[in-house]
Amino acid sequence: MSLINTSSPHLRQKLNTRDVMLNVIIALIPAVIASLVLFRFKALFLIAVCVVCCVLTEEAVTRIRNKPSAVPDLSAALTGLLLALILPPSTRWYAAVLGSVFSILVAKHLFGGIGSNIFNPALIGRAFLMVAYPKMLTTFVEPFAVDVVTKATPLALHKFSNQVVSTFDLFFGTVSGSLGETSAVCLIVGGLYLLIRKIADWRIPLSMLVSASVFSFIFYCLDPSRGTVFFHLFSGGMLIGAFFMATDPVTTPVTKLGRYVFGVGCGLLVMTIRYFGGYPEGVMYSILFFNALTPLINRCTKPRRFGA
Amino acid sequence: MIHVTEHKQTTHNLKSESFLSAKKLYLPLSQHIGKPSEVIVSKGDSVEESQLLAKSCSFISSNLSAPASGKILAIDDYFHPIYKRSQAITLEVDSSVKPKKYPALSDISALSKEDILEKVKQAGIVGLGGAAFPTPVKLVPPREIEVLIINGCECEPYLACDYRLMVEKLDEIFKGIEIVSRLISAKRVIFAVEENKPEAIKRINLYISLKKTELKNISIAVLKSAYPQGGEKQLIYSVTKRKVPPTKLPLDVGCVVHNVGTCYAIYEAVYCSKPLIERLVTFCGDALVRPRNLWVKIGTTLSELRENKLIEFKSDPVKIICGGPMMGVALDSLDYPIIKATGGFLFLTENTHPEPETACLRCGRCVDVCPMNLLPLEYVRKVKNNQFDLLDQSNIVDCMECGSCSYVCPARIPIVHYLRVGKRYKIDKG
Repeated sequence: MSLINTSSPHLRQKLNTRDVMLNVIIALIPAVIASLVLFRFKALFLIAVCVVCCVLTEEAVTRIRNKPSAVPDLSAALTGLLLALILPPSTRWYAAVLGSVFSILVAKHLFGGIGSNIFNPALIGRAFLMVAYPKMLTTFVEPFAVDVVTKATPLALHKFSNQVVSTFDLFFGTVSGSLGETSAVCLIVGGLYLLIRKIADWRIPLSMLVSASVFSFIFYCLDPSRGTVFFHLFSGGMLIGAFFMATDPVTTPVTKLGRYVFGVGCGLLVMTIRYFGGYPEGVMYSILFFNALTPLINRCTKPRRFGA
Repeated sequence: MIHVTEHKQTTHNLKSESFLSAKKLYLPLSQHIGKPSEVIVSKGDSVEESQLLAKSCSFISSNLSAPASGKILAIDDYFHPIYKRSQAITLEVDSSVKPKKYPALSDISALSKEDILEKVKQAGIVGLGGAAFPTPVKLVPPREIEVLIINGCECEPYLACDYRLMVEKLDEIFKGIEIVSRLISAKRVIFAVEENKPEAIKRINLYISLKKTELKNISIAVLKSAYPQGGEKQLIYSVTKRKVPPTKLPLDVGCVVHNVGTCYAIYEAVYCSKPLIERLVTFCGDALVRPRNLWVKIGTTLSELRENKLIEFKSDPVKIICGGPMMGVALDSLDYPIIKATGGFLFLTENTHPEPETACLRCGRCVDVCPMNLLPLEYVRKVKNNQFDLLDQSNIVDCMECGSCSYVCPARIPIVHYLRVGKRYKIDKG
């Protein structure tokens, strides 16, 4: 009889890293379907390019770093999928390739690989492309269009030409915008799946959405032309950001109190950029900013010892 | 707290059986927290059942009595299920001597508090929930006790010895509770059971309602099943919402906790003058032909149980765990003896840690579940980086190694193991 002698506990929960990533991918399926319906071949093409490039980059980098293949944990595939969903449908292939490589190589592996990165890789990929191809990243197209018909996003229309898009369109996603961010209903369904399965902690999305709602409600009361609460919740990257970017385990606080701080902070910063910034949208920068603050938030929100 | 897979459906329904005829008994001198017992017999001596073999040698120590009549073969180093090795008395049982009878007194009202306490001390009773803290110490609290909590949670998966005791020996347990309650003059007694033990809850409720007049200050608290609710500080919080501060004791918040098995042992000591020489142990796991809840003599080895076909393997186990799967210790052979605080053994045919450790995601699940509100992932990082000096030393001692963090970790990091390395470093450094 040869007996294994390891230390306790001897029971483990089934959920592993791969399951976490897989469940996030599953939660993104409604948004992926919406993007395919709205933007057809462009969506399929972008998603395929980003996922394949991210996975290949991951494999290449882990080989160079002489580490076991990290592809099976699905984190690279997830990064690729998320990156595709936050790019404009008309993004050209070379930009998608560059963004994917930058996400995995720079934002993830230069910081030490999975678990060690400070910033959300998909958001860094997009931020990089914003700098590299500002025009391409701010040019959006009309959904269902056969030809490329450019159309500003609801937030841009609102900010720069004071036009308001109906909440109905925002809810179902029949507006211009990034691939996966337009359909509020699909993101909410996916987000609820994540929260109910306890894959993501509810504190960040809830506090982010609540703080943005409160802030926008106050401004709406002061000046109705600022847009309604629902307009701000359902437009731009608010929902995909709250449910899928701000819940990334690696780059967000580990303490419960810290998660509230992170969520509330993101919500306020998003609305501040939307109201007072030069850009019509601020979800990406808000989350990246709070990613940077995460170590500090962790340190300041250490839970009190039991009974202390 | 977390919900762990309970694995209790097989063990809960097994009626207790007995195996009290072991031929050789190995009795470690450290079966409790505190100083090892002091041997008062010598090699070659013939001893009678229940005769004192080793005595308590300080305030926190315990007596050890002979579980059977026989001859002392050796007083030497032997296997210990928790400490791996320790000094132990080897007793060769004389099977020609009839087992001793322990007739029960019908009434103990004539006994004074001092008499009762002396009986409990004599019997060598320790906390049978797992920690094995010498019980007499907890029966003379230096301050007033408001709540006596009886721990019937048994939150470790698989184990069922406390549950069987509550189902089969409830009358005796209640008599034990009355003794404790009288000794510490508790204002209230709360019998805490988790809701996954409906049969025990039914019986306790029935018992309390039948004896309403005598048991005025006793009530039952049915708790939602959670791990590690059987832990002393967690149980006190669940039942009373009082938090025991770090480095403080339950009595600092006016509480005392005793396990149901301990109450049963106190009953036997006081009513029957029987020392703690037997206990109920759960044997289970998928490697066994038949799981059992078995009364055995303290000191019986697993190999002897196997020779007597009380442990039979369907296929060879790859892992044997002494205790429950969350806090139990993996054993490397069948030569280990059962000691006072052994609640069960687990025989598993599958490696319970098949997946390799991967990178920490910093997802914070370990922080979410830590019942002591620690940051387990930080300890892991510091231990891995050899930053022992940075270990938050005052807090790492709060960890009771319940294993909740490792249980939920999706990266399969053996967090408790790293914590132990950190604690070890602290101990070695003094």
